[in-house]
Amino acid sequence: MTMAIDIQHIDKLFGRTKALDGLDLQVETGTVHGFLGPNGAGKSTTIRILLGLLRADRGRVRLLGGDPWVDAVRLHRRLAYVPGDVELWPNLTGGEAIDLFARLRGGTDPVRRDELCQRFDLDPRKKGRTYSKGNRQKVALIAALASDVDLLLLDEPTAGLDPLMEAVFQECIREACAAGRTVLLSSHILAQVEVLADQISIIRQGRIVETGSLTDLRHLTRTSVDAIVDSPAASLATLAGVHGLQDTDGHVRFEVDGEHLTVVIRRLGDLGVRGLTVRPPTLEQLLLRHYGDEPARHGAVA
Amino acid sequence: MATVMVNQPVVAAPGQGGGTVTGTGTLLRFMLRRDRIRFPAWTVGLALLMGYFATALETFVESPEDLEGLTAFSGSPAGALFGGPGFGFDDLTTERFLAGQYGLYVAIGAGLMGLLTVVRHTRAEERSGRAELIRANVVGRHAQLTAALVLVTTMAAVVAILIGGLMASRGYDLGGSLLFGVSVGAVALVFAAVAAVTVQLSEYPRAASGTAGALLGAAFVLRGLGDMAAVQGSGASWLSWLSPVGWSQQTAPYVHDRWWPLVISLAFAVTAAAAGYALSARRDFGAGLVPPRPGPARAAAWLDGPFALAFRLHRASLIGWSVGLLAAGLAYGSFTQPLLDGFTDAPEDLVAVMGGAENLLDGYLGTMGLTMALAVGVYVVLAMQTLRSEESEGRAESVLATAVSRSTWIGSHLVVTAVGVPWLLLVAGVGMGVGAAVSTGDAGSFTGLLLGHVAHTPAVWLLLAVAALLYAVAPRVLPLIWVLLGYGLIFGYFAPILDIPAGAGWLSPFAHVGEHPLEEVRVVAVVVLTVLAAVTAQVACLVFRRDVVGRT
Repeated sequence: MTMAIDIQHIDKLFGRTKALDGLDLQVETGTVHGFLGPNGAGKSTTIRILLGLLRADRGRVRLLGGDPWVDAVRLHRRLAYVPGDVELWPNLTGGEAIDLFARLRGGTDPVRRDELCQRFDLDPRKKGRTYSKGNRQKVALIAALASDVDLLLLDEPTAGLDPLMEAVFQECIREACAAGRTVLLSSHILAQVEVLADQISIIRQGRIVETGSLTDLRHLTRTSVDAIVDSPAASLATLAGVHGLQDTDGHVRFEVDGEHLTVVIRRLGDLGVRGLTVRPPTLEQLLLRHYGDEPARHGAVA
Repeated sequence: MATVMVNQPVVAAPGQGGGTVTGTGTLLRFMLRRDRIRFPAWTVGLALLMGYFATALETFVESPEDLEGLTAFSGSPAGALFGGPGFGFDDLTTERFLAGQYGLYVAIGAGLMGLLTVVRHTRAEERSGRAELIRANVVGRHAQLTAALVLVTTMAAVVAILIGGLMASRGYDLGGSLLFGVSVGAVALVFAAVAAVTVQLSEYPRAASGTAGALLGAAFVLRGLGDMAAVQGSGASWLSWLSPVGWSQQTAPYVHDRWWPLVISLAFAVTAAAAGYALSARRDFGAGLVPPRPGPARAAAWLDGPFALAFRLHRASLIGWSVGLLAAGLAYGSFTQPLLDGFTDAPEDLVAVMGGAENLLDGYLGTMGLTMALAVGVYVVLAMQTLRSEESEGRAESVLATAVSRSTWIGSHLVVTAVGVPWLLLVAGVGMGVGAAVSTGDAGSFTGLLLGHVAHTPAVWLLLAVAALLYAVAPRVLPLIWVLLGYGLIFGYFAPILDIPAGAGWLSPFAHVGEHPLEEVRVVAVVVLTVLAAVTAQVACLVFRRDVVGRT
């Protein structure tokens, strides 16, 4: 299996702040890799190192088989980048910016570009300064998706998009994946990543704390259950894998470890369920699980 | 319709319901709070400027003879163009000279104060979206404009009192001093009202202040032409009466002391403000009367690389500078002849700046070449500042994430700016040449002038390269380049007067090529400066290549 991205144990210091602390990240060619972490965990720093815009203080970085610091220009022909905060030139139209980015990268497919403009519902004739945040993001996304590249580096690409556009985005990423492209998709919201990603890496305080497929990670985590039942539910607390049970007048809330779900749900059913909400773990819960009871956002760096 | 049930943070006491100016008082207090630095900076700053002129003049003029010497220049057409109609200059006193020659610049400053303040509190607020929050409260449609106009009126009154008081405190006639102060304040009022109209036209604050600023410039030129005609005793001296700045100057403080021209100013301000109100009622919130036009959906075929992008980004400013320098060249060129006439008995120092009495024509044209080179130097520094904002506003990152290397990125901007240098000098030279030829009726100096202008190219290139190097080292040290430019300016102009030793000018890039046609162009200097600029630029690219993005 070839690796589109292979980062081995890199450090990055900004002054005295350690932004990256022995980070490892491997992304297989042709997969969508979710890069998850709270704000300030080091996602953007990692992506900028992959772009050769920053240089790692220590460690080894390979991108599409090259060194991004040395071969930046050559490698940039084969990748497209969408930053989290897209800034456009105030007096260039969105259409001009799309064409320009594509040409600076080395060519684009005009048919695909127009199709994407239509799908993302973007008016390319407006000046950069008149676009909202979401529309600026669309400009960068269209420019990236219309390019014929091997790798897409997307740093929180859907932060300003509405749910409808997010659906279009997901469709486009699936198409890109079907066409054999590799995608690194960073986000701080688990839900955005889990629908698309084959593999997920979770970054916290500059290092990867979990990596694997979503199923692999789920296995390690708890599911939140929120139910309205007829009988008293105190007995559930005695079951293996049940945590933090609360029962207020028939409204039961608890968390359960993945491997014990079957037993717990069967017992819950015996209590006479009138309402039930089962939620997958959120990123915060994943991190909480990994770091005991310490709040995840505590002490994050840069 | 406006029954207030909740405590409004912005509008405290709406009083009797739904007028279009409801909330003006509160907004005014809010604006005063926001402008707690700007208000004193503008008003005291303008008074200090006048105080500086007064002190400097009194130091310079020690005897009535010195004053006589000044009349020769100030009473000439050139002096009128840059000063005023010269009321009472035949019997000159210090205060007449101050009001007649320097008053113009304080008045222009007041005009800027008026128009910038109105734009800042109306269109700029609307553009940023903050005005929407305010207008959602119990605030009338016209409250913001009204509060802004009241604010400027207050500022204008303060300026009038400060300047009037300052002049009176120096022992000048009280009535004249007050009139002078009020004339300055009137310009602020008029251009605040002009801005009240221009802010309605476009969605963008820059376009609003740009249009109002252009009108201020037009007012300056109109009265200049009129005043020139007035001192020559022939021609279209009525042009001064078309200019709001002219009205203020026509009050002739310390000479005729007439107040009635200010009635025109007041009537104009009221009419313009009324037009502003009328126009604002005809447009939607946040929109302009001139709808924004959609741009091209696709990039032009030539926009296909880093150099094309750099050119596209600098294009608007290049066009603006070309037009401005051409106009400046034409204007300065066109009073070559009046200047020659006026200078025959100017003070020695002034003649020395121009290269001595025997070479007055060549000296003037040579000095103008240097002036234009310094102006192009300003263009170059501003162009490098564009680079800085490209980086700090995150657009550089997007470009560097494509197949554009760091040295290509900075290099593309350097090349485009460098090519612009000889072009702008050429344009300025053509303007000067045509103006001078028309003015003197002799086109003989045309080619010499062109050469004299374009010959400064390597000096400006070196300035550009040093600016690029400063930027490459750290963007925040870029402003240091103004020191080099200022040094070049001071040395270029004042070395002959201030007895600065020639060796001290060695470091100025502008001191080596020679001010053709007064001096010969030194080919060695041209070559050395070009090589030096090329090497410095190369070093800048190398330094920049090893650095990261997101620097400060």
